[in-house]
Amino acid sequence: MSAVTRRRFLRTSGLGLGVLAGSGLAGCAASTKGDFAPKRGSRVVVIGGGWGGATAAKYVRLLDPAVEVVLIEPNREFISCPLSNLVLAGLRSIDSLTMGYGGLRKHGVRIIHETATAIEPDTKRVRLGEGYLQYDRLIVSPGVDFQWELVEGLAQNQDKVLHAWKAGPQTVALAQQLAAMPDGGVFVLSIPLAAYRCPPGPYERTSMVAWYLKTKKPRSKLIVLDANQNIISKAALFRAAWQAYPNIDYRPASRVTGVDPGSREIRTEFDKIRYDVVNLIPPQRAGSIAVQADLVGGDKRWCEVNHVTYESVKQLGVHVIGDATIGLPVPKSGNVANAMGKIAAAAAVSLINGKQPEPLAPGNTCYSWVSDREAIAVVNAYRIENGKVVQIEQKLTPVQSPLVAERAVGWSQSIWADMLA
Amino acid sequence: MRLTPHRLALAAGLLLVALSGGAAEAAGPLDERGALKSVTCTACHGPAGNSRSSAMPIIAGLDAAYFKKQIGDYAMGKRLSAEMEPYAKQVLNLGVDDVAAYFASRRREPTPIQPPAAAAARGRSAAAQCAVCHGPQGQGDAAKLIPSLAGQAPGYLREQMLLFKQDRRSPGDPALTALKSLMKTIPDETFADLAAYYSSVR
Repeated sequence: MSAVTRRRFLRTSGLGLGVLAGSGLAGCAASTKGDFAPKRGSRVVVIGGGWGGATAAKYVRLLDPAVEVVLIEPNREFISCPLSNLVLAGLRSIDSLTMGYGGLRKHGVRIIHETATAIEPDTKRVRLGEGYLQYDRLIVSPGVDFQWELVEGLAQNQDKVLHAWKAGPQTVALAQQLAAMPDGGVFVLSIPLAAYRCPPGPYERTSMVAWYLKTKKPRSKLIVLDANQNIISKAALFRAAWQAYPNIDYRPASRVTGVDPGSREIRTEFDKIRYDVVNLIPPQRAGSIAVQADLVGGDKRWCEVNHVTYESVKQLGVHVIGDATIGLPVPKSGNVANAMGKIAAAAAVSLINGKQPEPLAPGNTCYSWVSDREAIAVVNAYRIENGKVVQIEQKLTPVQSPLVAERAVGWSQSIWADMLA
Repeated sequence: MRLTPHRLALAAGLLLVALSGGAAEAAGPLDERGALKSVTCTACHGPAGNSRSSAMPIIAGLDAAYFKKQIGDYAMGKRLSAEMEPYAKQVLNLGVDDVAAYFASRRREPTPIQPPAAAAARGRSAAAQCAVCHGPQGQGDAAKLIPSLAGQAPGYLREQMLLFKQDRRSPGDPALTALKSLMKTIPDETFADLAAYYSSVR
């Protein structure tokens, strides 16, 4: 390909100073056509720079510096979902959860801040606008997208009915709505039917909002509409923590069917509830690129993968990791995505070098805050048995404590560094 | 990008990790013995086991025999930890010798956490009694399975001293009887000082 294309690639993926592709470089067409960057040796392309994808990109470089890695991620900064419930309670700033991708560049990862629009497994190409990138192995870490259509009134009111389930502007906006709510107000939080991203996340959020209301707006109430039959993670520990929060009105088996921001009403199959602030966590599926590329199964939601290599059961040469996967006995957590990122990276490097991938299992370490200073945790360890991930053991912290909260902070610092530094 | 103090500190921390991690990796990528088996460990213990946080211990450079003893104790529930018990069983499943050898061969990077100077000074005066076993610089004695304390994460050190004092770490282990007797004579507040001192030793 032409030198112009190559220069353009360097400018869009350079040391954090690049201009957005399509932003009108002098003399260039508005969007790139043809090969974005001609492949020289072996190349792994990673779609998605979240917990799974950022880790995978870094670890491919660590495992084999001869393999070129290109990461496609539209966001210029990484924002951590774990710990973002603390932002709602005013205990942490979103800035403290925001990090750059400079560390990955130091490892030699090339980053393109664009959205992958299609995958072509037959020609081993990823499409970006009118251009494309070739790969030897593709690792897709698409995260989740929301099924707006499953709640009446939600699709057209995405700016008013917040999910705050992808950390970022919505997290900040929901924190502002909560802070602006008058004392005596009603905050409604709705939880979708599993499977969704971060099983204990809604219950941690319940705890943090309840702590905030108890502390700052003591006459207010928190109604939790849970589509599930019961708390689906760390149930006994959350129940114990909620003893301190009589302001929580937890309603299991309450699936939300509609919302109307005009009348400030949220509907379940049986009930209609008026709210002052609503946080509706919508039902979820694998990120759109996975659906478009036909990586999802018959449910049209999640991606089935090989348990050792994370290669899609539907598309050869394409690995899928993180929340988008289904079929492993693991939760959709950042820690699991991080582990999958490393294991998929190792598998991709092995396959590129004609070696048998080593059977490695992920692990899950998951902390949840239950007050401003106390946390709880669940840990799951796994092994590979007959080519499948099998759980060795699950353990919970016996009680909530400040020491667990200290370790939660330690975990976050370590794993952010493991992904991004 | 706005450079808040927090972000600056974080950036500095990440840079440190990048520099130290980069040096270790340049010496040999992750194809060494045990490296791949350590992939779930680094989520908490940091790249190459060099945790940069206060609560998570640095396991880079840990003596292999000491490492194996701890994994065994965690797996059997002698060393109580909801976090480590499942992972210890995973390590045993993967092969503890390989994982121990990998971390033993990593160069230990002291914690970047700077304790308050006054606390470290108080800790230094209180540390004389610890030096009997851990050595004048807290360097430990591998032959006796006594770990190095120098440069270890301060939050971790403080938590372990509390656990020893309360006899909640490896209860009944005869090798720890003297240590626990000593810990019972030390007030809880002093643990933070001792942790500050040992974490600052280079």
